[in-house]
Amino acid sequence: MNRSGFWGDVLKQRMLLLMLTPAVLFFLLFAYVPMAGIVLAFKQFNYGGGIFGSPWNGLDNFRFFFESGNAWMVTKNTALYNIAFIVVNNVLQIAVAILLFEAVGKWFRKITQTVLFLPYFISWVVVGAIAYNLFNYDVGTINSILNAFGIEPIDIYNTPAYWPFILVLVSAWKALGYGSVMYLAAITGIDTEMYEAAEIDGANVFQRIFHITVPNLYPTIIILVLLAIGNIFRGDFGMFYNMVGNNGLLFSSTDVIDTFVFRSLTTSNEIGLSAAAGFYQSVLGFATILLANYAVRKYDKDHALF
Amino acid sequence: MQKKKSFMLLFAIIMVMATVLSACGGNNNGNTGTNAGASNTPSESNGNEQPAANDGKADTSEEVVLKMLLVGGKPIDYDVVFGELNKKLKEKINATVEAEFLDWSDWTQKYPLKFAANEDFDIAYTANWAFYNDQALKGGFLELTEELLSANMPLTWKAMPEVAWNQAKVNGKLFMVPNNNPEVTDKAVLIREDLRKKHNLEPVNSPETFANYVKTIAANEKGINAYNAKAADGWKWHELDQILLEQQNEWNLVDYNIPLAYKLTDEKGQVFNVYDTPEFKQLLAYYKDLADNNAWSKNVVSNKNDVWQDMKAGKTASYAHNLGTLAMNLAELRREQPEVELAIADLTPDKKKIAAISTQNGMAIHATSKNAERSLMLIDLLQNDKEIHDLFMNGIAGNHYEAVGDDKFNATAGTPNFTGFSNWGANSPLNRKDASYPAEADAIANAWQEKIHNFALETFVFNDANVKNEVANVGNVMLRYAIPLEYGLIKDIDKGHADLIEQLKAAGIEKLQQELQTQIDAFLANQ
Repeated sequence: MNRSGFWGDVLKQRMLLLMLTPAVLFFLLFAYVPMAGIVLAFKQFNYGGGIFGSPWNGLDNFRFFFESGNAWMVTKNTALYNIAFIVVNNVLQIAVAILLFEAVGKWFRKITQTVLFLPYFISWVVVGAIAYNLFNYDVGTINSILNAFGIEPIDIYNTPAYWPFILVLVSAWKALGYGSVMYLAAITGIDTEMYEAAEIDGANVFQRIFHITVPNLYPTIIILVLLAIGNIFRGDFGMFYNMVGNNGLLFSSTDVIDTFVFRSLTTSNEIGLSAAAGFYQSVLGFATILLANYAVRKYDKDHALF
Repeated sequence: MQKKKSFMLLFAIIMVMATVLSACGGNNNGNTGTNAGASNTPSESNGNEQPAANDGKADTSEEVVLKMLLVGGKPIDYDVVFGELNKKLKEKINATVEAEFLDWSDWTQKYPLKFAANEDFDIAYTANWAFYNDQALKGGFLELTEELLSANMPLTWKAMPEVAWNQAKVNGKLFMVPNNNPEVTDKAVLIREDLRKKHNLEPVNSPETFANYVKTIAANEKGINAYNAKAADGWKWHELDQILLEQQNEWNLVDYNIPLAYKLTDEKGQVFNVYDTPEFKQLLAYYKDLADNNAWSKNVVSNKNDVWQDMKAGKTASYAHNLGTLAMNLAELRREQPEVELAIADLTPDKKKIAAISTQNGMAIHATSKNAERSLMLIDLLQNDKEIHDLFMNGIAGNHYEAVGDDKFNATAGTPNFTGFSNWGANSPLNRKDASYPAEADAIANAWQEKIHNFALETFVFNDANVKNEVANVGNVMLRYAIPLEYGLIKDIDKGHADLIEQLKAAGIEKLQQELQTQIDAFLANQ
């Protein structure tokens, strides 16, 4: 191991480098190479010219989004929904991870984990269909049950007020299994000696959780939340579109940037306008993550992403 | 220190890999460049004459495979029928054809992508409702010159009336071989005749009798939706609007994505906002009355079911569609459930009818196709060669249909295995008619033919290039404010209506109207 210099280090770290390669390749291919397409946001796209040959049209493509009068509403909806998702999902996932960690019985733990994980694999299209059968006014499960108890049926699809709760709930249900596994892995990585020492000192379960487990999870929480914040201006299109569809009555409380742009542009197929909206989301997302990282850095240098 | 150094090295390696990879990326970009260049070539050579077309007939010595883009689900017996078709085509024009099918569920998203990605295909189904103007203006289709057509499509060139060619022109240029099949685009309603008789109702033939029918069904038939629609699939109107708003008032909407229309009889083509008319307000009251009487489900705008399937299952008692589809539904149910009696109801029998312009169905050549001449020859045969036309439209005789004389057919057990996709681009006078095609549908069609109203603006198409922001925003307002209002989901219709008008103004309807009027005036001045 006396070889030094660049190649010596490459050789020494070859395993780590190899493991890094797929991720680097992925982001290069799917994030950096296509980035050149951003120019479309400033172009009047036509097939003859293609991506790089089409004529420039300045900021014209952005007019649609901002002059629609909906820019503020959908941006606000997108951000608020994502904040709610981040908070609710992470709290639930951490809670479930701790419960699973503390739970006795290998079988119980495995089965619970599997059941919780299942929704993650169900496509949003299917979730949308399930929701329709639950919420339908005339024949939906919920109203059939209410009816059996002699309670007035509720009109879910025409009442915007229900939807923030429904969407947060569905999102939590779907992400719970996946997220809790990540936290569970982090908990398993905590040094068991600390728990043993705490037990000897007479700490009860709650003290162990709040003074050992949770503080040790901070780095994981901060990284996951920071990464999620970077996407705070991107609505989960699959979710919103399949749950709400084109139901105009619900738009005031459910419309996010992605569904708004899709709906407005799906008939006109103006690639430039869609590119402009995507660019707007990216810039906002970039700014937020810089800010969030800066805030974390101020508070605790070690936990910041960069 | 040591640690830091190795980290730096690691970083350096990543950078190296990144450079190598982005070199590949650069190559990619280069490719896109050449592609873009290539796509320019055909349209440039258009201006001049096509070199191959110069000597009359193009060279067919080399065998080619033509790729065709069709809309609709892939038929089950595709391989059988297209195998047979290809044998014949090989003999006639030394070419075979491969079709790609874009399923009905998401064709509107996929179709433009095929062009945007410049995929390799030669022929595409297109229509005024299937991106024809859009793609033609964006340069997705090859311009078809008279020389190209007369040299490669002798049969079609002879059979197609000149007016059909003219109707297919966009800004004076032709990009499509339209179908050759005059029809009326008006809509009718399919109702449950047995239920109507059961409740002793008058025949349904006007908006009033229809309202009476749906209200009676809603009140007396448990578990049946009196009327149903797939309300929120992106269509910006109540599905009865074409009948009760357009046909009833003899208006013509210029483009279904914007609420602007003119009167059929108005020679000046004065456009107005249909939402801002007393007729629309009356219609809102009519709809509200139906909605309050539970004529349709409260969740109609979230409906995820297929309406015709619901109707077949006895869960829906009426729906609106064009006459051809309703007639096919009627024939289908007569075959499968003879005990259920359906009827086609024309709610606006005395009004003027609009003839479908030729671009209702058609086929176009992809701008970057390398086999434009051969593709045109293929379309020529599909549309006007009896043998090939029969194959393409109906499948194999004896298997997918049973020939009745030269111009009719009977459905067979195999019929469903070769249907349901857009072979309509090849519609022509050679089309066979279903021998079981309901006589009443024919009667309605014949009555409509007599009331066809031809007018100067028939072939006008709106070019929205200057107002695409406004079109997108107005469309959004229609979905968000007009649809719930029309389906009676908003309690106070006066307030809902005022909101709609106000939102439309904010979305730029006035600018849109001005632009449209300018284009119409210019169009009429050129006539």
